[in-house]
Amino acid sequence: MFDYYLRLALCRCRQNVPMMLLLVLTMAIGIASCMTAMTIFRALSGAPLPGVSPYLHVATMDAREAVDKDNPDYKRPDSLLKLADAKALVDAHRAVQQVAVAQSLTRLGNPDGDTSSQAYGLMAYGPALQTFGVPLRYGRPWTEAEQSSNAPVVVIDTHVAQKLFGTDDAVGRSVTLGQRSFRVIGVIAPWAPRMQIFNLGQNAGGVTGQDENFFVPAQASLDAGVGPFTSGECGKDAPVVSFQSATVAQCRWMETWVRLGTRAQVDAYDRFLAGYANAQHDAGRFAYPPQATLYGTQAWMTLNHVVPDDVHLNLILAGGFLLLCLVNVAGLLAARFLRRQGDVAIRRALGASKRDVFMQHLVETGLLGLAGGVLALPLTWLGLWIVHMQPVSYADAARFSPDTFVVLFALSVAVGLLVGILPAWRVCRQPPALQIKIA
Amino acid sequence: MQIRPILSTLRHHKLTAILLTLQVAFTCAIVCNVVFMVVNRVHRIGVPTGIAENELSVIRSTGIEKNENAQAQHAADLAALRAIPGVKSVVAVSYSLPLNQDESTSGICPSKQALDRAIQLNSIDGSGCLEPSVYDGTPGLIDTLDLHLVAGRDFRPGEYVTQGKPPVTIITRALAQHMYPGQSALGQSMYDGDRFIRVVGIVDTLLRPNLRQPGVDYDSMILPQLPDDSVVTYVLRSAPQDRQRVLAAAAATLVKVNPNRIINPKRMQAYSQIRAAYFQRDTTMIGLLVASTLGLLFVTALGIAGLANFWVQQRTRSIGIRRAIGATCGDILRYFQAENFLIVGAGVVLGVLLAVALNLLLMTHYELPRLPLWYLPVGALVLWALGQLAVLSPALRASRVPPVVATRSV
Repeated sequence: MFDYYLRLALCRCRQNVPMMLLLVLTMAIGIASCMTAMTIFRALSGAPLPGVSPYLHVATMDAREAVDKDNPDYKRPDSLLKLADAKALVDAHRAVQQVAVAQSLTRLGNPDGDTSSQAYGLMAYGPALQTFGVPLRYGRPWTEAEQSSNAPVVVIDTHVAQKLFGTDDAVGRSVTLGQRSFRVIGVIAPWAPRMQIFNLGQNAGGVTGQDENFFVPAQASLDAGVGPFTSGECGKDAPVVSFQSATVAQCRWMETWVRLGTRAQVDAYDRFLAGYANAQHDAGRFAYPPQATLYGTQAWMTLNHVVPDDVHLNLILAGGFLLLCLVNVAGLLAARFLRRQGDVAIRRALGASKRDVFMQHLVETGLLGLAGGVLALPLTWLGLWIVHMQPVSYADAARFSPDTFVVLFALSVAVGLLVGILPAWRVCRQPPALQIKIA
Repeated sequence: MQIRPILSTLRHHKLTAILLTLQVAFTCAIVCNVVFMVVNRVHRIGVPTGIAENELSVIRSTGIEKNENAQAQHAADLAALRAIPGVKSVVAVSYSLPLNQDESTSGICPSKQALDRAIQLNSIDGSGCLEPSVYDGTPGLIDTLDLHLVAGRDFRPGEYVTQGKPPVTIITRALAQHMYPGQSALGQSMYDGDRFIRVVGIVDTLLRPNLRQPGVDYDSMILPQLPDDSVVTYVLRSAPQDRQRVLAAAAATLVKVNPNRIINPKRMQAYSQIRAAYFQRDTTMIGLLVASTLGLLFVTALGIAGLANFWVQQRTRSIGIRRAIGATCGDILRYFQAENFLIVGAGVVLGVLLAVALNLLLMTHYELPRLPLWYLPVGALVLWALGQLAVLSPALRASRVPPVVATRSV
């Protein structure tokens, strides 16, 4: 029966080609706009570090000291801490894993000084690779002993290793970082969070995550004269510090990330954090009530508007657009089906049930929906290409992926069927005798 | 023109008529809101900065020499840059420029009492204290940026400081009005927590490096503070057509004066690029919104025309009969036009309600202002016009149906 309906549908489509094209094109435009917005939205939602970030939390508190006391407002949670506070939190070992990090940008050179590479990386206090689940290719992460003795060790990614040494396995080599030579103890695969998660308070519109080319113990890096990318929040009487300055003793520039498994662990850590912050306030260090709060990665990103509102608005708009296309096609289909009431009446009189007629029309609209989907494929690709060409921060997310294809296929069939339900129901509702009389 | 026969005809096409009405309603609701968003963004990207935007070029230099004397280096650089042909003037600033997103702000109060109030309230809201953006730079900043002094004077050479904090400032008119409403700000002493800063001049307009809310976007102040860091930004003023050449020459000159520095090509920009970069997201969004609006209207017009076409085909015989019993071409034409007018009218009424509802929904989730009510009648008129335009061709075809059709069987 199904292939008979299919042949009937094909036959009918051939009878009025312009109308069929109009229907298919309308559906295709609706589907394509929705797919474009959905692809970008999907790329920008979900976990920034799959499998890891759902368990990651960042500590926030109002850690301003008396010297910062120029503005009593604490409007949004602040994740920046002084190195001393970050160290205290990490050294307390109250979470499954914990690390304090700051973004850095510097030049890494090979020992001869003939090749160097500008690289982004994380200055860290604590086991950064383990906490963030960064995959090691060669070597090992730094040990606590190396960290506490401020040993000049560094972990680089294969990209930098290739550039400086022409090989992936650079373990044991030396790189120049700032004014000192650092020993490479590990090489990681290129690694970047899918979206920005670090230093969001000072994030200027970045959406996709930064490639982190190296990881270095924070104190060793400071000793070599390499500081964080932004100096964070510095006290009023601090020496003028700027981009990459290592003079950050009076600044809050590190973020503390902790990995916690269960709800109970989160609650316990929350209490520990509040206890630590309140103790600092009571001791007179923190000038204001600290309001210490632990934020999950997702909540932290939402709070800091990492994914721009535009992306959500686009999705709503595209949804509205698809809805409109559906109503439009449904109207045209209804008119088209009702013109053929005569044929339907004859089928009914010959013994077809309402259900048969309904199915026949649904097969026809499903076919049209599928045709719309096929046409939507190049249109979606075009839409993504246009977005990709735009110099906006989320352009990188506009990429055609295989699962997009599956979603598109499902969406187009769903659209075809959805759009046909009302008209098909309408056409099979009338009693056969009356329709024959009309015919 | 009788409405009754039209309504009774539509009763036979309930489903299609309802779908068409819904379509018009959705279009009306979406288009009203989208056009409103476009207008908002166009306003946003047109915000004036107060500086001579198309005459300025900006270049950032990062010194990498150890223990270099930043002041001496800047002075040498400025002298060399000034000598480039075509450069009218040049200044060094630490990093802040309007819309370049490198911002430094400072909490500041109109008086010491206001600060006490702020501390008591534990908030600067309502205390009279504000948080303006702070600009600095070498002498000549006002002239190089082409700021207009509306009161007071420029800084005197003796007022520039390198270390510590200067005791005088020039503020924008907006900051003056917000800080000292109803009185003259010139000569007043503002208090920043540990010292007083006297207002010696007021400039017309100077936008912040980052936009906040429309009310406070122009709250800026300039301090006579010389940049004192190895990272410094030079602002060059030249004729608009010279900017590319001047930038290239400036980079070469800076390297010649002292090669121990990094000049990131991304940080060598005509000012117009800084502005374009700041509003990139808005520009893209405007393009997208306009494209989808046109798409919506086009689809709606196609739908209206397609349905009207069907109806004309379906009613060919009835049209023939009407013609045979005396209806003119004009009667038939007006019949279809009136029918369309009624359907679109119903859709528009529903659409206006939906538009307001959609706006309220968007307002709760996004920072959107309220939709001005005059958008609604304008949207309605546009849709009516669109409907009439779309129905014109099928209606004309209907009016050309000859009366003789009545005698044929379909």
